[in-house]
Amino acid sequence: METSMTESKKKQGIGRSMRLMFAWIGKFWPLLIASFIFLFFISYIRTIIPLFGQHIIDEILGYSESGSRLPGFLMRLLQADTPQKQLFLTALLLVAIELTRALMIFVRRTLTAVFSERVSYQLRNGFYRKLQDMGYSFHSHVETGDIIQRATTDIETYKRFIGDQIIEVMRLLLLVGLSIWQMAKLNIDLTLISLIIAPIILTIAIFYFRKVEKLFQVIEADEAKMTTHVQENVSGARVVKAFANERFEIEKFEGLNRKFTDSDMRLVRKMSLFWSATDFICFAQFCLIAVFGIVYTANDTISLGMYTAFLIYAGHIIWPMRQLGRLVGDFSKTSVAVSRLDQILVQQDEYVAQNGTLMPEITGNVRFDHVSFRFADSTYHQLQNIDFQVNKGETIAIIGKTGSGKSTLMNLLVRLLDYQEGTILIDDTPIDQIEKHHLRRHIGIILQQPFLFSKTVEENIGIADRNLWTTKSQRIQEVAKIAHVHDDIIHFEKGYQTMVGERGVTLSGGQKQRVAIARMLLNPKPILIFDDSLSAVDTKTDIQIRNALKKEWKQSTVFIITHRITTAKEADRIFVLDHGVIAESGTHQSLIELEGLYKAIWDIQSKIDFQVEGGEDHE
Amino acid sequence: MSDFAYEEDSYTSNKIDWNVWKKIFSFLKPIKKFVILSIAAMAVLAATDAIYPYISKFAIDEIIAPNQGVVEVNLDKLPVFIGMYVVFMIIQAIMVYLFIYWAGKVQTELAYNIRKKAFHHLQVLPFSYYDRTRVGWIMARMTSDSRNLSDILSWGIIDFTWGVFLMVTLIVVMFLINPILALIAIAIVPVLFVISTYFRRHILKAYRSIRKVNSKITGAYNEGLTGAVTTKTLVLEQANFNDFDGLTTDMRKQSIRAAMFQGMYFPTVIFLISIGIALVYYAGGNMVFEKAISVGTLYLFTSYVWQFFDPVNNIATIFAQFQQAQASAERIVSLIETKPEIADTDEVVNTYGTLFDYKRENFEPLMGDVAFRNVTFKYHVGEQVLTDFNLDVKAGESIALVGHTGAGKTTIVNLICRFYEPTAGQILIDGVDYKKRSLGWLHSNLGYVLQDPHLFSGSVMENIRYGKLSASDEEVIEAAKAVEAHEFIMRFEKGYQTECGEGGSRLSVGQKQLVSFARAILADPKILVLDEATSSVDTETEQLIQTAIHRLLKGRTSFIVAHRLSTIVHSDRILVLEDGRVIESGSHRELIQSQGHYYKLYTNQYSEEMLERSKH
Repeated sequence: METSMTESKKKQGIGRSMRLMFAWIGKFWPLLIASFIFLFFISYIRTIIPLFGQHIIDEILGYSESGSRLPGFLMRLLQADTPQKQLFLTALLLVAIELTRALMIFVRRTLTAVFSERVSYQLRNGFYRKLQDMGYSFHSHVETGDIIQRATTDIETYKRFIGDQIIEVMRLLLLVGLSIWQMAKLNIDLTLISLIIAPIILTIAIFYFRKVEKLFQVIEADEAKMTTHVQENVSGARVVKAFANERFEIEKFEGLNRKFTDSDMRLVRKMSLFWSATDFICFAQFCLIAVFGIVYTANDTISLGMYTAFLIYAGHIIWPMRQLGRLVGDFSKTSVAVSRLDQILVQQDEYVAQNGTLMPEITGNVRFDHVSFRFADSTYHQLQNIDFQVNKGETIAIIGKTGSGKSTLMNLLVRLLDYQEGTILIDDTPIDQIEKHHLRRHIGIILQQPFLFSKTVEENIGIADRNLWTTKSQRIQEVAKIAHVHDDIIHFEKGYQTMVGERGVTLSGGQKQRVAIARMLLNPKPILIFDDSLSAVDTKTDIQIRNALKKEWKQSTVFIITHRITTAKEADRIFVLDHGVIAESGTHQSLIELEGLYKAIWDIQSKIDFQVEGGEDHE
Repeated sequence: MSDFAYEEDSYTSNKIDWNVWKKIFSFLKPIKKFVILSIAAMAVLAATDAIYPYISKFAIDEIIAPNQGVVEVNLDKLPVFIGMYVVFMIIQAIMVYLFIYWAGKVQTELAYNIRKKAFHHLQVLPFSYYDRTRVGWIMARMTSDSRNLSDILSWGIIDFTWGVFLMVTLIVVMFLINPILALIAIAIVPVLFVISTYFRRHILKAYRSIRKVNSKITGAYNEGLTGAVTTKTLVLEQANFNDFDGLTTDMRKQSIRAAMFQGMYFPTVIFLISIGIALVYYAGGNMVFEKAISVGTLYLFTSYVWQFFDPVNNIATIFAQFQQAQASAERIVSLIETKPEIADTDEVVNTYGTLFDYKRENFEPLMGDVAFRNVTFKYHVGEQVLTDFNLDVKAGESIALVGHTGAGKTTIVNLICRFYEPTAGQILIDGVDYKKRSLGWLHSNLGYVLQDPHLFSGSVMENIRYGKLSASDEEVIEAAKAVEAHEFIMRFEKGYQTECGEGGSRLSVGQKQLVSFARAILADPKILVLDEATSSVDTETEQLIQTAIHRLLKGRTSFIVAHRLSTIVHSDRILVLEDGRVIESGSHRELIQSQGHYYKLYTNQYSEEMLERSKH
């Protein structure tokens, strides 16, 4: 996706993602500032430590007239009459000050952890919420793998950025800065010499890690090709075996495996060159400092103690440079992750985009007033000029071929989709003025392929009313009985406690449908929709379920989408949908008399005759 | 991938299992040379690391030459110092280059070898293995586990070597210079060890637990996406969010706790080291007073105390990582050592060759008579699917299998393909038990068309050629023409070179079916198995498919798990199955006339299709 971006757009994107990186921190910025403050003190103490060695050599062992460079407040603690006592006090103070630093590091790490975890927690929740609230059209087009990648890896990358990388950059800058300051106080010339090569190292490191980033992409692509091959080989194992192509598969894999290994090795070669070359440069810098240091010590420009301190400070500057280069090089990764998250987060969800505010009483009168609908990416109308009135308590059967618009019609009623022309009214309120949650709470819709959650059967049935989980109410079993799934459930090893969904047992299509019916029956609904949701249940059970329903749900308006004429026949009215229009409507009897499409289906389903066979010779 | 993580738990044990490691170490044999070389480079590097502060000591003691508070500089030795430094730099740079290169070689080649072996084994495993094992599980073995193992066995071993060598060198050098000060300096090392091991182990444990929560979160995202419409219709957004919030809160709390725990480790180490340094300063400073040691030695010892931390930390980390990696090792070994349940006997292999090397000259021509003799079959789990099943099919006959889900249609097909073997009884092909011939023999005479045709990424040409790898372009096109696929292929801009996408995703369902027919007809099998698709396609494609099926079946023994009316009607014999038994058999006309099970099934299942027909 990113590769197709033009260069200017990319730049603009980086600017935006930088702003977002900080915007998402939100109200937690004081924690970040506190971490920075602690970092300052921690780094400060660290740059004092070399002065202890200097103190011992120059002051206690007496190698310099200029004496100790330790700050005054520490010096005051080190007054003693004999050198031995001074030595003891110095050692003790060193431990004490290191203990202070250790405690501060602990506090700093805790602060940072709280900070980055809170921010990413907020981001994870926000992302999840957004996904839940996105409309039907988003979810029907979405690529699950891609979104999950964003929700996990990209958020993780961002978290590493705010929790590790920002902190690390700050830490290194403080360490380098304070060390330079301390060195400058000791000797300016030697400080400047110490800084000669540092910028070179930084430049090389930034350049290198940028470049390696590209190689990483090549490696990832090669690995992806190889894993795709394994994936296809494994999921197509039948085809491989049936065509006896095992050998071919192995040879093909061998090639991909080799290629991936070789590009991985190319990275290793680059790495070894980088690390050894920069090691060499870094040590050259150390060597330079040492030689000049020795000369300066020889002509008394600096003391012996200062010389040893310089050696340590040099380490505080040179190694962090390489590290900084790496962090800067990694920055682009975060920028990509942030913009991928942003692509989802900026979208408008359906409750913001098109929602009503009314929460009227819903009793079950439904009117479609010349409604037409087409999908956003389609040129023709999926439904055209649908016009009907259904009264409270009526049962309507909808039949028609696959693709005739039956499901779309019902999706409009629960506003999973929004129509372009006409109006749908429930109890005289246009549904686009009704708050969506309110609307859906009053309309029960059971999909043809219902989704069950990774929970127990009991929890799945009671999903709309979680109080029932804890109270172990009989209500769950009651609805299971109505939906004719109780007997199936008690035959499972763990009964109602059986786990279903992705991580549990696989229920048959019919069992799933009946669990979905049961969960919808938990609370009374003025409008019920069965979207072909008894298709996987045999005809006998189908009738039993519908009879049980009739008793309990006399008041509700019911829409049944079905292929079975026996089911349709018992409805108060039947709508026959054909190519997006209601071609016929009326009672069973009136439609039979009409001698149209319905009659044709009826004939086929009720009395198969042998002329079918005669019609077979189509070739 | 992480939504499969819950299956990974069964492999984590705490004891070191040497048997497993022995098998994994055997992968190192072909690259022994690089293992030894990288370890050698690392040992040299450790030695130079230990000697480095010694160069500074030389500068202090020999050049600056402090004596009783006075320096007696001797710049004559400066060139020696520079010389030593340059030699050190060169050795350091070369060794760093070599150890990274060689360890990288070990890492990449080891991963390569593991994957190669695993993939090879996967080809040998029978279909039943794939039925029982999730694709994600296998994928994780081929990717993350092989990577984990190769990392730990390359960089891990290297780090370990470096740590051990450096420590030993440091201790030896220190003792040579001044044993008493050496004892004082290393006093903290055992404590450092205990603490590092403790922290490392617990930190890894904490992160393992976090990973578990993380995989739950991934699962929740997955469920949130796949169940989105259901969530909306049941108005469960808030409830789902609350569940999710429970997980992320748990994640947050655990992560903070783990970070705090980890945050204690480094400060503890700093504190310990400061004690070590303070001891050296105090004791060493006094020794300088007593002229027992030089200032340079004091400097050297304080540097060494700092240097102890890295190797100790490395060694502790590697111990903990090894424990973690054992889970990966066990899983890989379990994959590689899975015994194929269906394999040719040695005798058969002698005559007909292995799966990868056929002895085609010994293959008998296959005529196409198929017979089931008292076949009983049961899957790993579940009930007996077939009991004493008998069936005789003559060469060239087409058999349609119909019946409800679970009636045994797929099982029969699986047995014919020898994806599974009968639990009892025999399947005869041309009158001979098919176990007496090789899998290669059967499969090179078998055509198989799946319900959801599985295509591979690659061009249309390559996909069709999969049926017969040696086929020329002309033969491929001929096959496509024979099943009415040529026309739609030519309508693509790139024709036969059109990419099919992963799993054939760039083709429509109907197009995929036609390509899979072409693939099957190119193989020119004697026995054809066709699991017909239920999915609906547009009328035009449907016509093409029906024509193609008739061409495909001509002159072959065929078994069809049928969903299309026309296919069933045109087959020689229809078998109506229920609970693993044939409850009716005969031609379409006979079965309709008898008004039995088939009649009922027919009227229920195919009414919509007939409605479609009646309109044309």
